[in-house]
Amino acid sequence: MFLNLLFIVSAILTIGAAVMVLVTKNIMHACVYLLGSLIGVAGLYATMGADFVAVTQLMVYVGGVVILMVFAVMLTGGKDHQSKTQKLLELIPNMGNKWSYIVGGLTALVITFVTFNIVRESSSLKINERVGFKSTVDEIGFSLISDHALAFEISSVLLVGALVGAAIIARPRKERQK
Amino acid sequence: MNNSLVTYLSQFEIFKSLNTGLSSMLGSDASSLIAFTTFLVAGLIITLVMATVGGYGTYAERKISADLQGRIGPNRVGPYGLLQVLADGVKMILKEDVFPRDADKMLFYFAPLLALIGVFGTLAVLPFSSHLALADLNVGVFYLIAISSLVGLSVFLGGYASNSKWAMLGGMRGASQIISYEIPVTLSIIAITILAGGMSFSSLIGTQGGLPHEWYIFHNPFTFIGFFVFFVAGLAETNRAPFDLPEAESELVSGYHTEYTGMRFGLFALAEYIEVFVVSGVAVALFLGGYNLPIHADPNFFPVQLAEVGVFFGKTLALYYVVIWVRWTFPRVRVDSLMVICWKYLTPIAIFNLVGVAIWLVAFDGRSLFNLITH
Repeated sequence: MFLNLLFIVSAILTIGAAVMVLVTKNIMHACVYLLGSLIGVAGLYATMGADFVAVTQLMVYVGGVVILMVFAVMLTGGKDHQSKTQKLLELIPNMGNKWSYIVGGLTALVITFVTFNIVRESSSLKINERVGFKSTVDEIGFSLISDHALAFEISSVLLVGALVGAAIIARPRKERQK
Repeated sequence: MNNSLVTYLSQFEIFKSLNTGLSSMLGSDASSLIAFTTFLVAGLIITLVMATVGGYGTYAERKISADLQGRIGPNRVGPYGLLQVLADGVKMILKEDVFPRDADKMLFYFAPLLALIGVFGTLAVLPFSSHLALADLNVGVFYLIAISSLVGLSVFLGGYASNSKWAMLGGMRGASQIISYEIPVTLSIIAITILAGGMSFSSLIGTQGGLPHEWYIFHNPFTFIGFFVFFVAGLAETNRAPFDLPEAESELVSGYHTEYTGMRFGLFALAEYIEVFVVSGVAVALFLGGYNLPIHADPNFFPVQLAEVGVFFGKTLALYYVVIWVRWTFPRVRVDSLMVICWKYLTPIAIFNLVGVAIWLVAFDGRSLFNLITH
């Protein structure tokens, strides 16, 4: 009962905040609503017993991505850029006319169809089928360095590349100033 | 479910009879309802106690700073000025709630709440004793790092929403500082996690002992350095002096909470003081043996629990004193040296420690330095 209650609360938070992201016109508010939606998704993971994934969701999205987005919005001007995006909307004829609505509607139909199929099949599966509440951390750790060692190593190379790239971009260029 | 408050309480007869009584009354299993109510009550009590600790943090700050500067400090309200906290609280609540004209209303109201959510969220896993922890999650310390990053966001949003240059600069500094210093903090925690072989606080503390030579700080030279890296970076993460650049009075008026008045400012201050307690508590749990008693005692015996809570609070408040002591001793660092300390010193040292601990674990089979010397 309690887990169901938590699931409903998380689901409402996820969907409600996601709708608010679409509805709001202020991009900073959209970031904050997105935060709520991401926390809701973390709650969904937690009710399904995936504790490590839930906390990683919090760590990566709340602690990293949302702060990064807010930073980016603020450094690029935030609210003042609303007029420029408005201009962009007028410049591109496909946004906001009947063709965009038709394409958008078709896309929504396809996505609904696919989601419906997934949901229909998953209704036979039960959430919380995991016996007890075993830690998922050990399992994730073992499979990361055994079955998925290659993916693990490749992603570490990618991260090192990103780090080096960031360092190169942020490096002060004294030679050019002279 | 893991070991938690409810599993401890459920061994008592009263709890069991309450469960069966309620179950027969409702006609269905009431254990989940009782667990929910227990968590609600316990969470409320812990939150209230920690809010009091945070409130008295301001009193301690004034008293200790006065002591260090040869003054007396608050001494008018109540004996030794102990009721100063109440007077401050009443004053904060009664103050006019000023709202800047061009501020972003929603974010302005939301930011102090977010700070409190982030800090109170960490209390869920803070181990006060072997049974008095709301939840002993498998990912306890990881959860703590994740949820406390909300505070950084709140500092930033508070600065942004105020629509003031001072607040904006303070918020930007706060966010960049908190993001940067999360790295050395997390790396030092990972080193201890490797030694303990688990991320839950029960395994982190359970593998240590009650006496100093069994603590992780004296386990090997790397963890000894790691403790100081963690402590310094923790100071920066909680925006405490000498790293209180987000609220540098001499340049930014009051930083990210310049435009906040009354209880909204109070919430930010409360969040900061509770966060200092939480960081001290985590340092105690990870490096200083946590709630472990020096003697062997049955943890199910109630006075033992009280003694464990006492040990935990004693160590944590001692660290709390050090934090305040540091604040009134060192001058504030510059913005660029702040980043240099983080990226050029603390982070490489933390990585070195991490590798060192891993090598130590393999080379000496996880035995501590004391163990190697005596055997």
